[in-house]
Amino acid sequence: MPKSRSPGVLRRLAALLIRGPESAFILADLDDTMERELARGIPLWRARWRYAMNVFASAFSVWRTRWRMPNLGMSWLDVKLGLRMLVKQPGLTLVAVFALAIGIPVGLVPAHFANAIQAPLPFDEGDRIMVLRNFNVATSDPETPSLYDFMQWRDELSTFGALGAAKTGGYNVNAEDGRAAPVPGAEVTASTFDILRVRPLHGRTLISADEVIGAPTVVVIGYDLWQSRLDGDPDVVGRTIRIGRVPHTVVGVMPKEFLFPYRDQLWLPLRVSALADEHRLGREFTMFGRLSDGISSEEAQAEMTTVGLRMGVEDPDTHTWLRPEAVPFTIGFFGLPKGGFQSMPEFYLVQVLTLLLLVVACANVGMLLLARTASRSSELAVRTALGASRARIVSQLFTEALVFAVLAAGVGLLLADRISVRFDWMENLLPFWVDLGVTPATVLKALLLAVFSAGAVSVVPALKVTGKAVQRSMQRAAAGRSGVRFGGMSSALVVADVMLTVATVGLAVGLWNGLTEARDGMDIQADRFLSAQLRIPRIEPADGAAFDRTEFMARVGATQRELVRRLAAEPGVRGVAVGNVLPGMDHSGRRFELDGENQSGVSENRWAMNARVDVDFFTAFEQPILAGRGFELSDLGEDGSAVIVNTTFVDRMLEGRNPIGRRIRYGARTDEEPGPWYEIVGVVGSLGMNQAALPGRDAGIYHPAAPGEINPLRLAIHVGDDPTSFTPRLRALAIEVDPTATISEPVALDEAFSFNTVTMDWVKIGAGTLIGILVGLSVSGIYALMSFTVAQRKRELGIRAALGAQRNSIVLTIAGRALAQLGVGVLLGMPIAGRLLFELRGVGRTPMDSPFVATLLVGMSVMVVIGMLACTAPTLRALKITPTEALREGG
Amino acid sequence: MGYLGEFEQLILFSVVELGDDAYGGAIRETIERRTGRVVSSGAINTALGRLAERNLVMSRVAEPAAGRMGRPRKYYSLQSAGARELMASYSTIQAMAGGLIPRLTDLAEG
Repeated sequence: MPKSRSPGVLRRLAALLIRGPESAFILADLDDTMERELARGIPLWRARWRYAMNVFASAFSVWRTRWRMPNLGMSWLDVKLGLRMLVKQPGLTLVAVFALAIGIPVGLVPAHFANAIQAPLPFDEGDRIMVLRNFNVATSDPETPSLYDFMQWRDELSTFGALGAAKTGGYNVNAEDGRAAPVPGAEVTASTFDILRVRPLHGRTLISADEVIGAPTVVVIGYDLWQSRLDGDPDVVGRTIRIGRVPHTVVGVMPKEFLFPYRDQLWLPLRVSALADEHRLGREFTMFGRLSDGISSEEAQAEMTTVGLRMGVEDPDTHTWLRPEAVPFTIGFFGLPKGGFQSMPEFYLVQVLTLLLLVVACANVGMLLLARTASRSSELAVRTALGASRARIVSQLFTEALVFAVLAAGVGLLLADRISVRFDWMENLLPFWVDLGVTPATVLKALLLAVFSAGAVSVVPALKVTGKAVQRSMQRAAAGRSGVRFGGMSSALVVADVMLTVATVGLAVGLWNGLTEARDGMDIQADRFLSAQLRIPRIEPADGAAFDRTEFMARVGATQRELVRRLAAEPGVRGVAVGNVLPGMDHSGRRFELDGENQSGVSENRWAMNARVDVDFFTAFEQPILAGRGFELSDLGEDGSAVIVNTTFVDRMLEGRNPIGRRIRYGARTDEEPGPWYEIVGVVGSLGMNQAALPGRDAGIYHPAAPGEINPLRLAIHVGDDPTSFTPRLRALAIEVDPTATISEPVALDEAFSFNTVTMDWVKIGAGTLIGILVGLSVSGIYALMSFTVAQRKRELGIRAALGAQRNSIVLTIAGRALAQLGVGVLLGMPIAGRLLFELRGVGRTPMDSPFVATLLVGMSVMVVIGMLACTAPTLRALKITPTEALREGG
Repeated sequence: MGYLGEFEQLILFSVVELGDDAYGGAIRETIERRTGRVVSSGAINTALGRLAERNLVMSRVAEPAAGRMGRPRKYYSLQSAGARELMASYSTIQAMAGGLIPRLTDLAEG
């Protein structure tokens, strides 16, 4: 198929914009016209420019015809007027464009991100590749199925052509000296490549014979691995590489863009048969399949439900509550609910929050435009007198606002694009199919939001200066004054504006407090620790014998003990901590109940973070035991019941009471069998248990773990300055102890929070900027409107002065009204901010805790001060009016 | 008989000129070459759709040719009703303009 010379982005945009029965012919004509122009010798850039103009004009014609759009009289003249206004009032332009340039892209972020994550896999008919998983109706959570399920489904399901399974991990490739980082890879079934419909670049993919236990060890490698570790050797097929300590024959190389299932670079055969009878105790894999031709996802789901119910009857112990389901791959891979982000209430909360920012921006820009339009009421009245209809004037004001909004959308998208470049490191954290770039659909949505914003900011000014107001405007225009009287509307606008601003600023300040509070509370010299993940891969016995779990755990334990011993003996190493998670990272949380509490008292507040750590964990971090005792070797083992809690736990769960000797147990829900009791034996300081540093989620419980119980595990090695320089030594030691052991994510602990402190800094900068923008916008909007309304009352104030009114009385009149407006706005905004903050931070049972109230009081005071400042200058001007002046103006 | 707008007249005259080779892209080029006016492909296609609904033109879809990204092309031919309307519209303008061109020229030249 020949490649078109028309610009790719515009071509996709054209396909998106031009819809309807004639679209295929129009698109053909667009390409055809460009080809003919190039054939006539028109330069490429000019042909492309004409192509772009043709696309937009064609889209307009098509949609106008489709919607039978009435001719509102929008014209280039209005656009020119709008452009002139931009230049004529640069201050207003700057504020309005800046506000909308932030509001429009931010409003697009949640949907953009969700769509990028949930995009179909970039393979042939990628949208028909589904993840198969179980849904536990008892817990309402999706569950990864076991190999037993996989074997059952593979034998029974006819609505899928073939099923595949994959499990990702890190592997040492030709890295006996430990210098090179482990390579991300996956064990996959041979069917994977057929399901995805991909062909190798060289050699072959995996085949069924590779899955047989005892078959030669083979590997398929990725393009980047081929280039970087094997120097792009053209004869690589047939070569042997070492993965861990086992030689593997390379049988194929995949194309550069093939990174399935995440960002993987090698694929080993998954040997499943020996494990198939482990039922739900088997290893957990991502399972997937391609829908058979002509089968819909609903038909596949119906068959899965039938199979699931039968399995529930046959295996009541393990499968009673499980309902198999098929979901699109990109949704299933992340364990999202079946409907994706769009079925999660949290998604809409975030979407509403981001759109709230746009609404606040629109409200403030609207007030600025209202004041500007009011000052032009005479001009508009004259235009009406010369025959312009109301629709014509409304259309003119809308077009002027649209010029602002489209410019802002363009600036915003450009900024977003530039900022996303700063986050290029994030790309390596995301799966291979996610593209966060600006797409034609994003541009289209930005334009739609621009149209919405233009409508929102221009509707009030437009309606206010047209219609019944025109006659009065003409009379007052003759007197040289504005004809617009706002009456109750200005009050309503100010109240609404203050309410929205208090809600959003309150939320932003609350989140900011949360971010700074907990980070400050982390009393660890994190920049002096090297953090890394150690993983011992599970190796299937080559001789077909059953896998021995106890033996594997013993091997992991021996490796951990020996590695820690050698690390501790290294010069410069002051301590080694081992845990399933390290301070500052996101810990997982569980519900629990306290001994002696009424069962009905157990609520969502009884929720604490968990960590499993070795007995020397706190010593390595130089953390004193504040009460009770630390862990001892006798606490280890299955019967061990000792736990240590942190000070946040004591403060929030026990309200400061002595925790030593109190007992806790997990599984406090009614549908869950409670677990064993644990006894609190000690208290340590708060070390940070979530990246977002939300204080409500920092109450923690530490469990002791014996060597071998955690795999993969996290190491924190206290090595002093420049901890990452110790990485090669760590890798070398790990491989000396166990050649299969992989060391990944080696970074200083202060950078180890998986979306690390850099991201948090950006979030803080973002929140701070947001507060600044909102306050700035609010001040400018309120100032403009209050200033205008006070100016409108000049004559009334002058007459009052002439009749002997005191200055204080006049000031009280103006200030009283302003205070009432601000007060009502603040009172309405506070509960909204409180509810939003409560939802996001999960602070306590009630949002009325002291930091929150303090935050709101500060926010309220700031708004009142700003509002009064906004009134000061107009009030002073009003006081300077002499009765003569006022009466003369009334003329 | 309805009246044809100016744009529709331009399109129909182009169809007459192009004969069997009248499709959107060629019509657009003809209008631009003869009048200097740049019109969009979308406007031409939607206008041709309206003219086809009124049975003034007839369309046929040609098989996608190699080298055109597999996209089809729609050719138009003028129906007798279309020819009559075009002639009537043009005659109306001619009748109105008859004898007035010299005066119009004088006025235009000031």
